[in-house]
Amino acid sequence: MLQVLLSGLTVGTIYGLVAMAFAVVFYVTKVVNFATGQLLMVSILLTAGLVRLGLPDWLGVGIALIASTVLGVIIYFVAVRPVLKFDRFSFAWLVSTLGIAIVIQATFAIIFGPASQPFPRGLHQIPVHLPGATLTVQEILTLVVGALAVLGWELVRRKTLVGKLGMAISTDPEIASTFGANVTAYAVGAFAIGGFLAGLAGILVGPITYGNPYLGDTYGISGFIALMIGGIQRPAAAMGGGLILGVLSIAANSYIGAQASDWFPFVLVLLVLLLAPNGVFASGDSLRKLFRRRSSLTVGGRA
Amino acid sequence: MIAALRKRSWITTVILLVAFAAATLFAAKANFGLQSVITVTAIFVVLALSLDLVAGVVGLYSLGHAGLFAIGAYGTTLLARDLHLNVFLLLPIVIIAAALVGALLGALSLRVSGLYFAMTTFIFTIIVYVTLSNSAWTMGLQGLPGPLFPNFPRDVQDIFGRSVIWAVAAVVLITIVIVWSIRRSAFYPVLLAVRDAEPYARANGVRTSLVKVGIFALSAGLAGMAGWAFSFLVYQSPGQFGWVQSVNLLVMVIIGGMNTRLGPILGAVLVGIFPFVVKIDPFLQEVVFGAVFVIVVVFFPRGIIGLVDLVVRKIRSAMGRGTTAVPTVEPVAVAPAASAATTRGGDIALSAKGIGFSYVPGVPVLRDIDMVVRRGTIHGLIGPNGSGKSTLVNLISGELRPVQGEIELNGDRVEQLSAPSRPAHGLMRTFQSAVLVRELSILENTTVGLYSTVKRIAARSVIWPLLPSARRDSRMLREKAGAALESVGLQKSWHGTQLRDVPHGVEQLTQLASSIVSDPSVLVLDEPLAGLSGAEVTHVAEILHRLRERGVTVIVIEHQTRFIFDNCDDVTVLAAGELVTSGPAAEVRANARVREVYLGQ
Repeated sequence: MLQVLLSGLTVGTIYGLVAMAFAVVFYVTKVVNFATGQLLMVSILLTAGLVRLGLPDWLGVGIALIASTVLGVIIYFVAVRPVLKFDRFSFAWLVSTLGIAIVIQATFAIIFGPASQPFPRGLHQIPVHLPGATLTVQEILTLVVGALAVLGWELVRRKTLVGKLGMAISTDPEIASTFGANVTAYAVGAFAIGGFLAGLAGILVGPITYGNPYLGDTYGISGFIALMIGGIQRPAAAMGGGLILGVLSIAANSYIGAQASDWFPFVLVLLVLLLAPNGVFASGDSLRKLFRRRSSLTVGGRA
Repeated sequence: MIAALRKRSWITTVILLVAFAAATLFAAKANFGLQSVITVTAIFVVLALSLDLVAGVVGLYSLGHAGLFAIGAYGTTLLARDLHLNVFLLLPIVIIAAALVGALLGALSLRVSGLYFAMTTFIFTIIVYVTLSNSAWTMGLQGLPGPLFPNFPRDVQDIFGRSVIWAVAAVVLITIVIVWSIRRSAFYPVLLAVRDAEPYARANGVRTSLVKVGIFALSAGLAGMAGWAFSFLVYQSPGQFGWVQSVNLLVMVIIGGMNTRLGPILGAVLVGIFPFVVKIDPFLQEVVFGAVFVIVVVFFPRGIIGLVDLVVRKIRSAMGRGTTAVPTVEPVAVAPAASAATTRGGDIALSAKGIGFSYVPGVPVLRDIDMVVRRGTIHGLIGPNGSGKSTLVNLISGELRPVQGEIELNGDRVEQLSAPSRPAHGLMRTFQSAVLVRELSILENTTVGLYSTVKRIAARSVIWPLLPSARRDSRMLREKAGAALESVGLQKSWHGTQLRDVPHGVEQLTQLASSIVSDPSVLVLDEPLAGLSGAEVTHVAEILHRLRERGVTVIVIEHQTRFIFDNCDDVTVLAAGELVTSGPAAEVRANARVREVYLGQ
């Protein structure tokens, strides 16, 4: 039971980090970067490749993180900025970011081949025995990193001027730019943070998955589902969606059957779309809305 | 001349049909390799056309078309295999199934936003893919062959070739007829208004959510039909129906030109023959493919047809068609106000009693407002910024619903009716800053105002040019819209001009024309003078007086008190969400509190 919960939270944190990577980018630019999963894959495969070339583990990890961050920014300049420049409200970035995802995936498949690459075991070899459950140090590190990511994000957003300006841009970039906010810098920053978070998720999950070019698809879709479950409007909500998805998927695997995690996330996301289309942790959450609907006689809603 | 034109368009149609049949005959007798290129491309044409109907015309980026396509293809294959149903019986079954799934997806996600629609349909395609790959029923990733399409009898086959090619051709033809008919129909401007100017569409009686869901269901049905034809052609496996296929379809639409007649067809042909022409290493081909997605969106957002259009427009404007006509007032014969609703409700056109409203509980925006508008008067509504004028107008027009109080319009209680159902009660409104459809002419924009007067416009739009009654309606709409434009002083030379090319004043007048074209009995104008020049203000005043002569009741919100007191019979004054006074203009003007809170004296 505890094992299921802890394993679920660990996997969920990975999904949550990918979902946060989506959400941070969306928060500032209102764009869903569909190549986010591929950034995770890039960090895993680069680490694997660099370590195989003889670099120490820590250096491989460092370079891989920098690479996924930089690639995030490159995606912004190549696939997003020109599209938004043509029409700020167009959805054409759906096509261009998915196109970039295909390019990255196919390029890495050419370089590394479609087979799996070994990933440094690192902290994953060290088990930690708890009463009723066993985790590895890597998994504990994952939980800590996940918690730090959410805390750090919320602190910066609420307590610093940078964060508050970010909120203003998120609400209305045009008005924010009239009082001197550099919207482009924030967009670059968002894509960098998104790339970094996705890369981080890759490093953390690498020892379990090993490296292969199609991981981006798998984890990109899981992260995206976590995003839909939690709610796209707030990165912290996205992490929450990841945790829910992780715990319930592992639970489904243990209690329903080994194949359940193949289809279970989709059932879950369908339920969420039906019952709370804005996401479980969205600011105008479904519970509050239900309450409001009941008291609509005294409040009045939009017709 | 019109008869000659129609004759010419008939001749063109016949020529096109003959050419299409000849091409089909050629394909049906061609060798197998060429046939597979042609049929796959033809299926892409159907899918791209159906996708453009949602993505281009109503602005909903569907990533679900691969999944809907799969419903058609796998549905046909599996039902034929397991239930041994006739393939022609399966056609309506899979079309309806895909359309229902589309309607469900649309209804679920459009509650939230257009972006959620894209994301939900994306997830839908992934779910379909995962289901197909993991189920033993569908033979998993390995895939399965489709049913056999019945051959022509031997002697017919000698003349016409392979029967399935004719089936594919029929599917293409049906799709083209439906999509092009909608583009030619009077419904088309309405659809663009749903895409670009939703409040405007709703104010003109269009149930925009229903229209979006309906169009997506139609598009989904067409995608299902494409799947039906596809099932006879190739061995099916889940890989053909993944999200990449969805994006691929969007790329076809964009590369050819969104929301154009030929664009999706051109795009489908280009992308369809790409893998047959470019034969390289499959991984490298994928890189090129992905790069094409990005390049198309970044460098050719308008697509090929859009680019051609742009060049044509540039050349035309360079050749000098610089019309600098100024809107001039032309006296028009007073048309009899024919609205049936005018006879109801007696002398009171509109009354609001005890209206209370708040956006957030505990913060009332309007408190206990009473307002009575006498029939056939011009009624001014004034108040300082934030006094609740626009909220009151939104309550009257149905964009918002009051928390308390009742609104009676021509004798009917309307406060619980939605905005799109109020035009039927004789109420039309305009918005403070007009948002109309920039790529339509001002005449087409005006016809949207007649939406609620044309019966079954949506249902008839799929075969519009074939229906004599629809052609009559089209003519009637253009005539009425033209007359309305002339009645606000916009003469014929303006009517064909695209809205994006007209000055702000003309845009405002176009909005006014579309709000009076359906002969409403009550007209609500939200700051009609915003951004108008002095001459244009006089012009609008004249229009209002002419409307009053016709028996129309006009409610005007305005900041220019001079305009209000010079032109209104009655005036209602609001301040901080409360009624200050309401009554004949002269009395209101003399009211001490009005002078204090509003006139600043």
